[in-house]
Amino acid sequence: MSVQIIINGLALGAVYALIATGFSIIFNVLKFSNFSHGALMTLSAFIGYFVSVGTGLSLFPVILISMLAGGLIDLAGEFVAFRKLTIRNTSSIYYFVSSITLGTLFEGIVTIWVGPNFYNYPRFFKSMVVKFGSLIVSTSDLIMFITSFAILMILMFFIQKTRLGRALRAVSYDRDTASLMGINVYATIQMAFFISGCLAGLAGVFLGINYTLYPQLGNLVVKGFIASVIGGLGSIFGAVVGAILLGLMETLLINFIGSGYAPVFSFLIMLVFLLVRPRGIAGSNVQEKA
Amino acid sequence: MEFISSVITFTLISIISVIGVYILTGLTGMFSLGQASFMAIGAYVSGALVVKTGMPFWMAVIIAIIISVMIGFIVGFPTVRLRRDYISLVTLGFGEAITSLLNQTQSITGGALGFSGIPKRTTLLLALISAIVCIIFASYFKTSKYGRQCIAVKSDELAAKAMGINISRIKMTAFLISVAVTSYSGALYAFYTTYVDPSIFGWKKSAEWAIMVFFGGVNSLTGSIFGTVILTALPEVLRFAAAYRVVFYSILVLLIINFKPSGLFGEYELPVGKIIKLFKGGRKEEKGNAA
Repeated sequence: MSVQIIINGLALGAVYALIATGFSIIFNVLKFSNFSHGALMTLSAFIGYFVSVGTGLSLFPVILISMLAGGLIDLAGEFVAFRKLTIRNTSSIYYFVSSITLGTLFEGIVTIWVGPNFYNYPRFFKSMVVKFGSLIVSTSDLIMFITSFAILMILMFFIQKTRLGRALRAVSYDRDTASLMGINVYATIQMAFFISGCLAGLAGVFLGINYTLYPQLGNLVVKGFIASVIGGLGSIFGAVVGAILLGLMETLLINFIGSGYAPVFSFLIMLVFLLVRPRGIAGSNVQEKA
Repeated sequence: MEFISSVITFTLISIISVIGVYILTGLTGMFSLGQASFMAIGAYVSGALVVKTGMPFWMAVIIAIIISVMIGFIVGFPTVRLRRDYISLVTLGFGEAITSLLNQTQSITGGALGFSGIPKRTTLLLALISAIVCIIFASYFKTSKYGRQCIAVKSDELAAKAMGINISRIKMTAFLISVAVTSYSGALYAFYTTYVDPSIFGWKKSAEWAIMVFFGGVNSLTGSIFGTVILTALPEVLRFAAAYRVVFYSILVLLIINFKPSGLFGEYELPVGKIIKLFKGGRKEEKGNAA
C-alpha cells in the first residue's frame, strides 16, 4: 500500500516536473514568469485529444503531435506577445501582462472551440494495471513516470552537453555578451519557447489522461509554479526536485486528509519553504539585477 | 433603468478593486494573482458575520477588512523580501488555497453552491461615495511620500535602496493597502449581489484587474479608472457574446502592449477635482440616455 502511494506520488511529481521545467526555461532566458504556460497545456492537450479521436492513433503519436503543436503555438505566442518587448528590452512587468493576456487568449480560444464541457481521452492501454509480483501499478502512472523521466534526461543532456544548450545557457546568463560572442539571441529565445511549448504539450496530455479534459485544465499549472518556487526560481534541476517532492507530499496528504484540502497544503508548504529557505532547494541566486 | 443602475454599481465596485490593484501594480510594480481571493475574504467574512451573528453592516465590513489585512500580512511577510516574481507566484497559490478552502468548509460558506441570504445593503449611492473616496485616497497616496517611494521601488529597486528607502517595508505597505481596498470592494459586492460563490474569485479575476490597469496606462490613475470603465461596463452591455469578448479583449490588450506599451493614457493624469466633475458628468449622460 505505502509503496503504491510513493509510486503514485512519483508519477504525479514527474508531470509537475514537466510543467515546472517548461516554466523555468522561459524564466531563465527572459527572467519573467510565463503565465500563459497553463493555457498552452490545455490548448495542446485538446489538439492531441481531437487528433486521437479523429484518427484513432495510439498514445505515443498523440503525445508527439501534442508536443509539436505546443511548441509551434508557443513559437507563435512568442512572436505575437514577447518579441517586441525583447527587442525593446522593457521591464519584466510588461512581459507579465503580455503572458497573462496570451494565456487568456489561449483559454478563450479553447472555450470557443470546445465549449465548457468535459472530455475524456480514449483508453490507450489494454490493461489498466501492471503487476510486479504483489505490487500493482496503474499503467498510466507507469508510462507517465517513464516518459517524463526520459524526456527530462534528454533535456538535461541537451542543455548541458550540446552546442545549442550552451548557447541557451549563455543567453540566460547575459544576453548582450552572448550576442557579442556570435550567438543568435532571438533564435535561441525561439528555441527556448519551442522546448517549453513541447513540455507543455506533453504535460497537458498527461494531465488530461490523469484527470479529465476541460478548458480550465491549465489551472493545474499552479503546481508547477509552486514546485519551481520550492526548488528555487530559475533552476531547472531544482524545479525537478521540487516537483517530485511536491508530488510525493501531495499524494501522501491526499491519502490522509482528502483531496479537497490539497491546494491549501501545497500553499502552506510553499510558504514554509519561503520562510526557511527562500532561495529554494537548489539555492540559485536570483536577485533582481539593477 | 434597473439594469443601467446595476451596471453602474458593478463598474463602481470594480473601480474600487482596481484602485487596490493600481496601488500594488501601477505604483509598486508587483503583481498579485490572489487579489480576488482578498475580495472573497472581504465578501465572505462580512457576509457571514452579518448573516450568522446579526452584526451591524459597518462593523462586519471593518472586521472583514482587518482580517484580510492580517491574512495579507502572513502571505506578504515571507514574500516581499524576495524578487518581485515571487509575489505573483505565491499569491497565485494562495488564491487556489482560498478557493479550495471555501469549497470545503460547507457548514460556514455553503461550499461550491455559494453563500446566499446576505441582506442587500449596497446602494448605488454608497458605491459611488466609496469609489470617490478611494479615488481621492489613491491620488493623494500617489503624490505622498509613500507613493513616491513606491514609484521609486518600481523603477529601480537597487537605486531606491541606495536612496535609503526600506524596500520590504514599502512593498508591504503597498500590498496591505491594496488588500484592504480590495477586501472592502468584496464586502460591497457581497452586499449588492446578496450571493457569492467561490468560482468568481479565481486568479483570472485578479489577472483581469491587472490588465485593466495596464490597458488604461500603468502610471496613470485616470487611465486605470477609464480602463476599468471601458472593460467592465461594455461587457455587461454586450453579454451575449461572452466567449468572443475574451478573445477580443486579449487581442486588444496585446496590441496595446506591443504598440503603445505605456497604455491608453500613459503618464497623463487629470487633477482630482476634474476627475470628480468628469465622473459626475459622465454619469448624468448615461442616465439621460436611459430615460
